[in-house]
Amino acid sequence: MLSLENQFEENVLTTKVDWLINWARLSSIWPMTFGLACCAIEMMAVGAAHHDLDRFGAGAFRASPRQADLMIVAGTVNFKMAERVKRLYDQMPSPKYVIAMGACATGGGPYYKYGYTVVKGVDRVVPVDVYIAGCPPRPEALLEGLMKLQEKIRNSSVIRKPARTA
Amino acid sequence: MDFQAIHDRLRAVAAPGLVGADLPRKPDPKVKKDKGRAGDPFVIVEAQRLVEFLEVCRDDDRLKFEQLVDLSATDPAKDDAQLWINVQLLSLKFRHRLSIKCLLPKAAPSMPSTVPVYRASQWHERECAEMFGITFVGHPDPRNILLPDDWVGSPLRKDYEFPKEYHGISCE
Repeated sequence: MLSLENQFEENVLTTKVDWLINWARLSSIWPMTFGLACCAIEMMAVGAAHHDLDRFGAGAFRASPRQADLMIVAGTVNFKMAERVKRLYDQMPSPKYVIAMGACATGGGPYYKYGYTVVKGVDRVVPVDVYIAGCPPRPEALLEGLMKLQEKIRNSSVIRKPARTA
Repeated sequence: MDFQAIHDRLRAVAAPGLVGADLPRKPDPKVKKDKGRAGDPFVIVEAQRLVEFLEVCRDDDRLKFEQLVDLSATDPAKDDAQLWINVQLLSLKFRHRLSIKCLLPKAAPSMPSTVPVYRASQWHERECAEMFGITFVGHPDPRNILLPDDWVGSPLRKDYEFPKEYHGISCE
């Protein structure tokens, strides 16, 4: 295969389309402004100056699902809310990602047994990419969850078939 | 006024529906398993005449309970045939409080709405209605307040059975 290196004038970089698309996607994951319970307080802390979600390009909390790439389900999802969560997810443009933050969004949390209106995990309503443990998780845990999501996007492929792993 | 004085006043004005009073009791050391009864003293009122009773509490010169602080319900036990209605009143003028309790049969719990006397009880009654299946006759807006509109069953009743699924979402 012909190498493209040094074939053009200066200030032209060459790369793979996949790499470029993934780089663009993972560097600007805009979350939706959306909090359901106490986990949302930690999410706000992550968005604020001390932890600064903006360092990862994910600090632009959008007020509309149509402008958002990421849905951070921060808090308890009950049945009345589940339908709204589903509708908001459907309104987001692809590619879209979901982080289940905390014990409630992951699996019902402390309401698992006696919470008659609590959905036992938001993955029963929308597909989840990253689960974060904790009740509520530390801000650092949400940052790690975001970096895990970035890793996931980095390893995804639009053009080429994903490499098979044995 | 303390509880005894409020109770005496209620007796003096012949408050409608007043059944009696219950004071906290210390446990009897001679009787095994007697735990006594802690908590606030309360008056017991006939549920069907609670509205008239509250009118007296609100309008009497010596009582003047201007505020309804809380209206809630309790299901004490699965084999108990009755529900409790608990009402808390507060007088800002005299700085005294009153606890009221009513008994309602579990089979078909129904009582007149207290909204004509205290408008604050509107949301409390809606919550009691959906959580315990109590009908408040004459309530101006008897919709569910917390649960979805099509929810089946009364979740805070002791004999409540948890749903298997809701709108296609499994609850198992």
